Amino acid sequence: MVLGTYKEVVAARSTDKQIQKIAQDGGIVSGLFCYALDEGLIDGAVVAGPTDVMWKPEPMVAMSSDEILAAAGTKYTFSPNVWMLKQAVRQYGLEKVGTVAIPCQSMGIRKMQSYPFGVRFLADKIALTLGIFCMENFPYESLRTFISEKAGVDFDLVEKMDIGKGKFWIETADQTLTIPLKETHGYEQNGCKVCLDYVCELADVSTGSVGTPDGWSTVFVRTDAGETVFKQAVEAGLIETKSMDDVKPGLGLLEKLATDKKTKAMKVIDERKAMGLPVPYKGSSEKEDPLANI
Amino acid sequence: MSERVVISPTSRQEGHAELVMEVDDEGIVTKGRYFSITPVRGLEKMLTGKAPESAPVYAQRICGVCPIPHTLASAEAMDDSLGIEIPKAARQLRELTLAAHHINSHAIHQFLIAPDVVPDDLMVTAINSVSEIRKTVQMVVDIVAGEGIHPSDIRIGGMASNISEVARKRLYARCKQLKPKLDAHVELIIGLVADKGFPEGLGVTNAPTLATDILYGNRENFDLDRFTEIMPESWFDDPEIAKRACSTVPLYDGRNVEVGPRARLATYGDFKERGVVAQHVARALEMKTALSKIIDTLAELDTSAPVMADFDIRGTNKLGVGAIEGPRGMDVHMAQVANGKTQFYSCLVPTTWNIPTMGIATEGFHHEFGPHVIRAYDPCLSCATHMIVIDDEDRSILKDEMVRI
Ligand SMILES: Cc1cc2nc3c(=O)[nH]c(=O)nc-3n(C[C@H](O)[C@H](O)[C@H](O)COP(=O)(O)OP(=O)(O)OC[C@H]3O[C@@H](n4cnc5c(N)ncnc54)[C@H](O)[C@@H]3O)c2cc1C
Ligand code: SF4
Repeated sequence: MVLGTYKEVVAARSTDKQIQKIAQDGGIVSGLFCYALDEGLIDGAVVAGPTDVMWKPEPMVAMSSDEILAAAGTKYTFSPNVWMLKQAVRQYGLEKVGTVAIPCQSMGIRKMQSYPFGVRFLADKIALTLGIFCMENFPYESLRTFISEKAGVDFDLVEKMDIGKGKFWIETADQTLTIPLKETHGYEQNGCKVCLDYVCELADVSTGSVGTPDGWSTVFVRTDAGETVFKQAVEAGLIETKSMDDVKPGLGLLEKLATDKKTKAMKVIDERKAMGLPVPYKGSSEKEDPLANI
Repeated sequence: MSERVVISPTSRQEGHAELVMEVDDEGIVTKGRYFSITPVRGLEKMLTGKAPESAPVYAQRICGVCPIPHTLASAEAMDDSLGIEIPKAARQLRELTLAAHHINSHAIHQFLIAPDVVPDDLMVTAINSVSEIRKTVQMVVDIVAGEGIHPSDIRIGGMASNISEVARKRLYARCKQLKPKLDAHVELIIGLVADKGFPEGLGVTNAPTLATDILYGNRENFDLDRFTEIMPESWFDDPEIAKRACSTVPLYDGRNVEVGPRARLATYGDFKERGVVAQHVARALEMKTALSKIIDTLAELDTSAPVMADFDIRGTNKLGVGAIEGPRGMDVHMAQVANGKTQFYSCLVPTTWNIPTMGIATEGFHHEFGPHVIRAYDPCLSCATHMIVIDDEDRSILKDEMVRI
C-alpha cells in the first residue's frame, strides 16, 4: 500500500473564495483549521507563519482564522513545526492543538506520542494533524540560490512557488517561470533521499495537489479524528468534494510518484546501510514489504 | 533501664533517614536523634567551574520532590551574584510557579500522611481531592515554567518567556474553579488531623523558627553572619550515629531551628501553636494562601511585558544569595561567578535545618508517636545530604569519616 492506510480519498476544495485565493491548492489545510477552530475542535494550530524574511517561515501558534490565513501557502523550506508544539501547550496554554506537518514531521509527532520522553502532557493534547504531501524540501539557501541563479529572478519578487508536472514553478507579478525538477535535484536536504513517505501516511488527514486539477486537492481521510473534522466541514458546506474517479490525473499518478519515491529511497537506504552508515529505517532485506514506511 | 528503639529507614518521606530513640520503662522517649543516611550527591562540586546557566539546570535535579524551589533559589543566587534586577513580570511568573508548587507539594504530603489520619471510609475522597488539586496546580507550573517537574523556563535574569493571554485567562479560570474545592480539602485535612487526637504538646520544641518570607522568600531576611555549620560529631553525642550521619548541622545564632510552613506563619503571621498538629494545620492553611496568591497574580500579570533582563554573564565574584521558601522550608543557594564561570556554589536546604530539631521533637512522648512527629516535618532528605567540608587551604578533608567524593 504505497499510499498508506486511509478510510477515504476524494478530490476537494474549500468553498470560501478568500481561502481559494490565498491557499496553495484547494485550501484544505487552512479551511479545515478555520473550521476546527470555530467549532472548538482545536483551540489553536501550529502553522508555518510568515517572517520578515521573504519565504522563510517560522512555526507560529495561530489562534484565530486570520492567523491561520496569514500562514497559508507552501514555503519550500523548513518550518520546524514539531518544535513549536511544546510551546503551544505550555506558554500558550492550549489543550487541543492542531498542526500541519510534512511526512517526516508527522512521523516525529507519532513517535513522540508513542514515546513521550521530554514531552509530558503534550502527546494527548495533539488533536488534529493535517499532513501535506512532500517529495523533498530545500534548505533556505538552496532555495534562494536556485531561484535567483537558475530562474534568474529576485527572490523578493516571487509571489508563489509550486511543484507540479515535473517542474518547479515560480510566479511573480508579471511572469511564470519554471525549472525542470531534474535541475533542482541536489539542492534538497540530504535526509529526503531516504524518506519513504510521500503522502503523509501517518497524519489524520493528508492532502496535496497531485492527482487533482489546479485549484483542487487530493485528500486522504485516515483516522477517526480526521474523519470527524473532514465530514463535518463537508456537511457544513465549507468544503466541496468530487470522486477521485471523476478527476484527472487521478490516483494513478499519486501511486506512481509514491512508488518511485519509495523505490529510490530504498535504494539509497540499502546503499547507506551497506556502507555501515546509520539510517533510521530498515533495509529492504529486513522487511516484508520493501516499500513499507518503516 | 533505658532501651533503644530504632526506625531505619523512616517511612513515607523522601530519601533515607534513621530515627534512634532512647526510651524509658514506659516507652517514653528520653532522647531522640534523627539523621540522614542518604548518600552524598555532590551537586555543588559538580557545578563549580561550569557556566552559570548550568546551575539552575543541575540544581533542580538535586531532588524530584522540590525541584522548583531549587531552580528558583539557584537562579536567584545567580541573579544576585551577577547584580541582576529581574523584570516585574518575571518575578510574578516565578511567584506563580512557586505558589503552585507549594500547593502541589503539600497535597503530596497529605497523601503520604493519609494512612495516619484518614479513616478508611474517607480514603477515596481524600485521595481524589489530592489528585484533583495537583492536576490543576501542576498545570500552572507546566504552563508558566515550561515543565512541571524540571522547569525549563526559569532562567538567570528572569524567565524564558511570558505566557499568552489565552493561557493566563485559562489558568485564572481553572484556579478560581479550584478555590471552593481547595477550601473544602483544607477543611477536611484540618478536621481529620484534629480527629486523630494526637496528645497535647506532641512535637513541641523550643527551637526558634526561621523563615525569610510568608511564601516566596527574601534574601534580605537571611543573615549569613548568623549562620554556622557544625559537623555531626559536634552535634550528636553518640559517636556511632555521628559517624553515619550524612549531613552537616546548620545553626542560626548558634541554635538549631525549625523551618517550613509553621515557621513561616509564626514568623510573618500571628500563628502561635506549636507541634505536630500545628504543623499539619499550618501546611494546610498555606495552600489557601498560595492559591489566593496565584489568583491575584494571574489577575495582575501583564502578558505583554518583558520577562528577561539584560546582564553580563561574566560576573564580579560577588557572593550571591538566593533565598526561596520551599514547601519544607527555607532553601538558600549561594553562588559566586567570575570570568563567566561558577567559582563557588553552596546549598543550605530546608530539611537540613530541621534535622537537628526533629529528633528532639520526639522526646517526652511514647516512641510510637515518633514517626508521626517526623512526618509532620515532611522531611525530604536527598537535598539535605550535604557536601563534605574540605579545607580550602590544604584541600584536606576535615573529617575523614564523612563520605569522600
Ligand atoms: C516542502 C513541501 C513539499 C511539497 N511537495 C508536494 C508534492 O510533491 N506534491 C504535492 O501534491 N504536494 C506537495 N506539497 C503540499 C502542497 O504544496 C500544499 O501545501 C498542500 O497541497 C496543501 O495545500 P492547501 O491549499 O490545502 O493548503 P493551504 O491552505 O495553503 O495551507 C498550507 C499550510 O501548510 C503550511 N506550510 C507551508 N509551508 C510549510 C512547510 N515548509 N512546512 C510545514 N508546513 C508548511 C502553511 O503554514 C499552511 O498552514 C508540499 C509542501 C511542502 C511544504
Ligand atoms: S521528503 Fe521526507 S524527509 Fe524530506 S522534507 Fe519531505 S517529508 Fe521530510
